[in-house]
Amino acid sequence: MREYDIVVIGGGLAGLMAAAAATKRGKKVTLLSLGSGTLTIGGGIVDVMGYLEGGIPAATPSAGLLQVGAGHPYKKIGRPAIEESIRFFKEICEEEGYSYIGNLDKTQWIPTAAGTLKPTCLVPRTMDTTELKKADKITVLGFDALKDFYPSLIAKNFKKIPAFAQKEYEVVMVDPKLSEGRDVTALDVARWLDTEEGLASCIEKMRNVIPSGSVVIIPPVLGTRPNYLVKEKLEQALRCTFVETASVPPSITGLRLRTLLVRYLKKNGVRIVEQAIVAKSIVEENNCLAVITEGVDRERTYYAKSFILANGGFYGGGLLAEPGKVIEPIFNLPVEAPTDHELWANYSLFSSEAQPFAKLGLDVDEKMRPLDASGKVLLNNVFVAGRNLRGYDFSFEKSGNGVAIASGYQAAMSV
Amino acid sequence: MKKHHNNPDSCTACTVCIANCPVTAATRKFRGPKMVGPTLERMRLSQDDIEPSLEYCTNCKNCDMSCPSGVPISTLNMLARAKHFKNRKRSLRDWILSHGEKMAKLSAATPGMANFGIKMSRGILKKIGISDKAPLPAYASKSFSKLFKNLKQTSYPDKVVFYPGCFINYNDPQVGMDFVAVMQANKLEVIVEEGFVCCGSPLVVNGFLDEAEENAKQNVQILKKWTDKGYPIITCCTSCGLMLKQEYQELFHIEGVEEYAKHLYDAGEFLLDLHDQGRLNTNFGTLNEKYMYHAPCHLRAQGMGLPGVELLALIPGLDVQDADAGCCGISGNYGFKDDKYDISMEIGSGLFKTIKDSGRDTVFSECGTCRLQIGHGANVKTLHPLTLVRKSYEAYQK
Repeated sequence: MREYDIVVIGGGLAGLMAAAAATKRGKKVTLLSLGSGTLTIGGGIVDVMGYLEGGIPAATPSAGLLQVGAGHPYKKIGRPAIEESIRFFKEICEEEGYSYIGNLDKTQWIPTAAGTLKPTCLVPRTMDTTELKKADKITVLGFDALKDFYPSLIAKNFKKIPAFAQKEYEVVMVDPKLSEGRDVTALDVARWLDTEEGLASCIEKMRNVIPSGSVVIIPPVLGTRPNYLVKEKLEQALRCTFVETASVPPSITGLRLRTLLVRYLKKNGVRIVEQAIVAKSIVEENNCLAVITEGVDRERTYYAKSFILANGGFYGGGLLAEPGKVIEPIFNLPVEAPTDHELWANYSLFSSEAQPFAKLGLDVDEKMRPLDASGKVLLNNVFVAGRNLRGYDFSFEKSGNGVAIASGYQAAMSV
Repeated sequence: MKKHHNNPDSCTACTVCIANCPVTAATRKFRGPKMVGPTLERMRLSQDDIEPSLEYCTNCKNCDMSCPSGVPISTLNMLARAKHFKNRKRSLRDWILSHGEKMAKLSAATPGMANFGIKMSRGILKKIGISDKAPLPAYASKSFSKLFKNLKQTSYPDKVVFYPGCFINYNDPQVGMDFVAVMQANKLEVIVEEGFVCCGSPLVVNGFLDEAEENAKQNVQILKKWTDKGYPIITCCTSCGLMLKQEYQELFHIEGVEEYAKHLYDAGEFLLDLHDQGRLNTNFGTLNEKYMYHAPCHLRAQGMGLPGVELLALIPGLDVQDADAGCCGISGNYGFKDDKYDISMEIGSGLFKTIKDSGRDTVFSECGTCRLQIGHGANVKTLHPLTLVRKSYEAYQK
């Protein structure tokens, strides 16, 4: 019988990081994935801790980490492992030629497509704001027909941000001539810049509207691949600095990061099984022997010494909401939730208050093993990572990819 | 979560499918899987109107594979296509490309003449919309079923049923013969049922859904008959396999599919299962050879990883590199169409480049039409993984 050291369930950022850390430790890893995770939706920017309770910005991610509550995954993982995980993440990106900048001791405020600033921790070099902060004049460059990116809105809103209010703004447009066929997204423009002809044509068009020395805010279009070739060629040709904004799905930064991590895993011998619907497990006493996938044809059994459960929360299918209870379907692990499910949600539309269900999830020990209500470890060789963990609200805190990286890493190191 | 709930409302419009769709990447004419699939499906439920760019979907299933919400997007597209063509006149081109089995039967008496005819008439084919550049497959001088009838197998108590499919039967029978040899080397006797017809995959992609359903009913009856007796059914073609086990469930309401699907195997996965049970003949001779591998989309969609690669890892000396460069672009008969040929080649361009850059001159892959396209686009030799397994067994004998 084929047996692996570790089976990772889930192909999102937590699962990919867990598999990466495990393979780095020399473990034989199988990754079971269903769908391509939420990186391409949520983006490749790594938030660690942006806002504290009550919406107060954390001075730095580090400071934020000190102030999280006892039930927060970061509290379980602990500062040294979080730091290690960030170092490991940056090391992989560096090794693969798409390095990230930033560290836990500094909040990076990056521009969004809405013309606001968003706090984060690690960003690709395409989002380096050093020159943006220094510049007296900022150019905002849009592309004709591109949806969801309106340069004049960005310029207008930046004027309202104290640190950017004194700067001058110029709005310019480039026509990528992509209007045929369908709506234009950042992905279309990025693919245009992936090609040599597209890049050359774009440089020509940009030359007409931006003088050399400009600092330019643009949508995330600097190529779809995890490298800096498009950025470097554009900057070299035009002698400008380009800064990508955070934007709406499909996320180009997330796509690049996912491509990078999947490539890293395959290169290091991780077996990836796509379309694997993990439905149940075989558990003896407190040990999991195997997990079972339920295909349209038949069940398949995957044996391993350890398992990392990183199959997401309510959105990814790792947690299921049913009237009065929340279910973790593979191991039937307990999820503490109010029995009155009316209390899970905040029903007011466009509310600025948190959704209580966001913090529902699995309780774990410091090794990420699942616990029961009394704090007893339920499974000795199962480790939980990512969105199915309880006690954090990634959307309000701005902590999603940070928790994914830290918990995925911690799970793999605990095996 | 079963995959055959065709519910467009499970779509949250997250756009992951757009990022993963090879056709969207290759042409702006396609409005993308989200729009053409679930978004317009909601409209189609109330009106007959059709999204004109629906014809660009290749049914490669990369959208389904990327979807975090389990929406069978490509199947929604195929059902919509069938609805569109229900009361419309069909082109001769689409009829010919969908009815490869009928065409092959017509030419069976004189495949040499038929091949000569195809070569001579590429100009005429071009006029009806079949690209004169596309890698149309030649007919084999003897079909697999003819070769198989003349083959003397050793009889064993354990038997498997082989579903060859049209491509192996009429164009590439050697793969079928290699399969039989590998089964024999594992003390298994192969049964080939004459009543099997085309799985229907080429019919479905061109909207001949009713005919595909007729084929499905016939195949289901036979498949169920054998699996009821406890025999496993094995395919070497990943598109046939996907059709028989999954798309029949998604597209039609035929009883019995779920029961036999449990016993339907890809050849590579079947052999790995034998290995897990300690029953695989592991007398593999050393093959000091280097190959590239291409994973067909329709294999990846089946949720069993890459069994061909895992199997060949058992052969000593063999150096296999997974190209891992996405869809080849052919998608059955899509790349044969004159107006789709360039898109098809654009989709495959990344793969062709990866193969060329590797310097390796032979690529193996489970899918017959992927092999055609790769041979055409990257100018390399191609083979099925079981051909290498047979070669390794034979090397051991020497």
